Amino acid sequence: MFRFQSLDDDCTLEEEDDGPIEEEDEIDQFNDDTFGAGAIDDDWQEEHKRLAELDERDGLGAGLGLGGGEMGGESNFRGGDLSSSTSLPPSSGQLPRPSLSFSSSSSGLPTQDADDQSGGSNLVESLARFILDADPAIAGVGAAERPIPPPGSAGPGLSALPGPDQHRVLPQPSSIPQKHQPQHQLPLGAPTSGLPPSSMLSYQQQQHLLRRGTAAVGQMNSHSIWENSMGFGPVSVTPGLVTHMENSPLMSIIKEVGLPKRPPQGRSDEGHDLSERVPPPRSSSPVIGSPPVRAVPIGTPPKHPMSLNHQIHHPTAVHVRAPVQHRYPAPFPERLSPNTLLNIANSPLCRGPFPPRVGPVLSQLQRAQLLNSQVAGFPRGGPLLAGGGFRPFFGGPPPPHGHRMGPPPPHGPLNHAPPVRHNTTHLHPQHRRMLTQRMQSRGGDRVRTGLDCRSRDPYSNLMSQKEKEWVTKIQMMQLQSTDPYLDDYYYQNYYEKMEKRQERERDSSSSKKEHTTKLITPQVAKVEHTYRPVQFAGSLGKLTVSSVNNPRKMIDAVVTTRSDDEEKREKQVWNKRRQILYTVEKMYSLLLEVQDFEKRFVQTPEEEREALLEQHKTNTEQLCSSLQEKDWEDRLDGWMDGWIWVDEWVVVEGFSASTAVISFLSHRVSDELCVMIMSVRKGKRLVARLLPFLPAAQAAAVVMVIARNLPALAKKDKQDQVLCCLVDPVSAVIQSLSSSALTDLLQELQGSEGQLTTVLQNKVNRRRQLVSQSVNT
Amino acid sequence: MNYVPGTASLIDDIDKKHLVLLRDGRTLIGYLRSIDQFANLVFHQTVERIHVGKKFGDIPRGIFIVRGENVVLLGEMDVDKPCDTILQQVSIEEILEEQRLQQQAKQETEKVKMQVLKDRGLSIPKADNLDEY
Repeated sequence: MFRFQSLDDDCTLEEEDDGPIEEEDEIDQFNDDTFGAGAIDDDWQEEHKRLAELDERDGLGAGLGLGGGEMGGESNFRGGDLSSSTSLPPSSGQLPRPSLSFSSSSSGLPTQDADDQSGGSNLVESLARFILDADPAIAGVGAAERPIPPPGSAGPGLSALPGPDQHRVLPQPSSIPQKHQPQHQLPLGAPTSGLPPSSMLSYQQQQHLLRRGTAAVGQMNSHSIWENSMGFGPVSVTPGLVTHMENSPLMSIIKEVGLPKRPPQGRSDEGHDLSERVPPPRSSSPVIGSPPVRAVPIGTPPKHPMSLNHQIHHPTAVHVRAPVQHRYPAPFPERLSPNTLLNIANSPLCRGPFPPRVGPVLSQLQRAQLLNSQVAGFPRGGPLLAGGGFRPFFGGPPPPHGHRMGPPPPHGPLNHAPPVRHNTTHLHPQHRRMLTQRMQSRGGDRVRTGLDCRSRDPYSNLMSQKEKEWVTKIQMMQLQSTDPYLDDYYYQNYYEKMEKRQERERDSSSSKKEHTTKLITPQVAKVEHTYRPVQFAGSLGKLTVSSVNNPRKMIDAVVTTRSDDEEKREKQVWNKRRQILYTVEKMYSLLLEVQDFEKRFVQTPEEEREALLEQHKTNTEQLCSSLQEKDWEDRLDGWMDGWIWVDEWVVVEGFSASTAVISFLSHRVSDELCVMIMSVRKGKRLVARLLPFLPAAQAAAVVMVIARNLPALAKKDKQDQVLCCLVDPVSAVIQSLSSSALTDLLQELQGSEGQLTTVLQNKVNRRRQLVSQSVNT
Repeated sequence: MNYVPGTASLIDDIDKKHLVLLRDGRTLIGYLRSIDQFANLVFHQTVERIHVGKKFGDIPRGIFIVRGENVVLLGEMDVDKPCDTILQQVSIEEILEEQRLQQQAKQETEKVKMQVLKDRGLSIPKADNLDEY
């Protein structure tokens, strides 16, 4: 409705103003467009003067006041604040051409006084039409309080109007919504006296006033504000004039402009102080019922396209184009209803040099914003969210949402799931449409809708790619194996079978090669990781940190690896030596037994002497045989018993017994054994002590052995130096040797290698001497 | 199958609605947001669903972090399929009440059973579902 009105207003203005508009400096269409009808320049002063002059002549200010009131009721939104503040209730919304009447009435203006009378009748006609649409309340009021025609009221025609028009006013209901309180009664009883009838005003002035009035009368409506209107005299109009004048915008202008100063005094005695209802001209429009107060006054031109929206809807400017990283939706575009958008469009602020003749034309920006709202239901693009991580979606928007919620309350609850603004408001609408279409097509796939849903999910992709790869890497590590066929036999076989099957199928179907994804587990070579403890140069010891992979070394056990042969040889050597030692010990014990035989023999009683002798014998045997055979160990044990007996028997009966034993045995003395025994120090001593007990043949044989192995023995004897003990018994044996044996011995001695030590040489020499002596003898 | 073909991995289950059954018998439904190598799970917009007979009730819990060892099974939920074909959703208070009654009834039967067994000389130790210490 208001739109219609405003349109009408505009249209009327434009139509009417086309002619004189260029001429008139004051009436500036552009100015009005820019600043709004509410913005008044200083022309009002001139206008006031003019009106004051008119007012003197014409006392039909009441009519004008009425018209002004009507005008105020019509408009509400226009920046001009067309709501009327008069006490006169607005008349019908239908605005029959008031200008016509004004034009006719303007004839009544001083400049066109001549035409006044002629136009008066016409005026009556037109005004009647107005009155038909007039509010019944007004009409009623008008009828009730017929204003006393002010003295000297000009325009008898006009003054005559109230009569016939008034009753016509009555039946016609008003369709204009009354914005202000209906309490305001039409103070027709107090006709404005100062206000000249519209006829008195010049055409241009009328228009000007009209326009001004449309703005100012709007202000008039808010009675409370305009209670204390100042500057202007009260508008006093005759009831008739009021009724018909209220339809005319001119009335509003006049009202707004105010009547000359004179009327206030005159009016006061009428009981009605219409000065309260006259709005002072203001450049800003802080009127209740009009759009919310803007932080910036109406008059300031918008800095950039955005600000107009802000000015209209937001007291605190929230930029539509949010910074990219916030990804907040634009504060309000989608909240705009088409109406509000059109209001924006039609607001004087956005009216550029091309007035919206055609209709509500959205500027580029508004179109973009409209489209943006269409896009509002769309899923966010992936890349918008991919910017790393989680955006606290609900944490952010509340502040801008709050702003949004404020101004357009009728727009319903906020939808908290709007996707991010693509900052595409700067895009060409065509481009934008293409984008949305593309997005739509992409979202058609079921899977993609799933993905879409996920991409729409503000909490998605909390786990970044890197983290996913990290987890996968750990899982892969667990699959590492040196021998996959050992660790994962069934898996390997299964996949082999599957691949074979697929190959068969593939070959049968087509030659196209398809590679199915196969898990390739990494094969890690088994590497022995030895722990090398950290060592610092110059420090004592090793710094060892024990861990699972490097347990602490408790025992420093060294494993020596040896081959079997070496081990055997070593064992043999040791065994042999041990054997020799053992043999020597045994023999020694035997020998001692033999040597102790005499004592024992004496001590033992007579009957047991024979047993003792027997024992002696066996001992001797054993001794002898120990030198001879390999398996002497067994024999030695046997000898122990018989030795004592043999010894005693020898003692008693001489050597015969022992020699018999020995001859019985007459075994070859083994060289090796002797040498072995002789290698041991104790063995040498043993032999030295044994020699006298051995039978002659044995003794000789032993001597021969010694002579034969003398160098070796001498060598071994370097440490021990016990060969000397052998000399005496050996010499004794040599002496008893037969010549043939001696010869052999000599041969042996000569045959021996000449590696003898001086001591041995002495010995040998001595032996040689002995031998030679014996030979000589 | 995304990253590691031929294996089972939870990577592909991320950001999907899941149902998980825990070792203590709880059933959680939520969006799986994050995992790790132990299958510890992070659930978002979690709802604990209590089932008693044919009725169920949802208790919103918010964000849940489940230690991997406590998971019995985990499965993706079909968001499109309606969940109230056979089951009937009730309010939280009601389902808690139902659960309490159910627990009570169970305990009573258990007690009676134990008593009967005791009378006959048999004593079966009560099996503890939780870990034995």
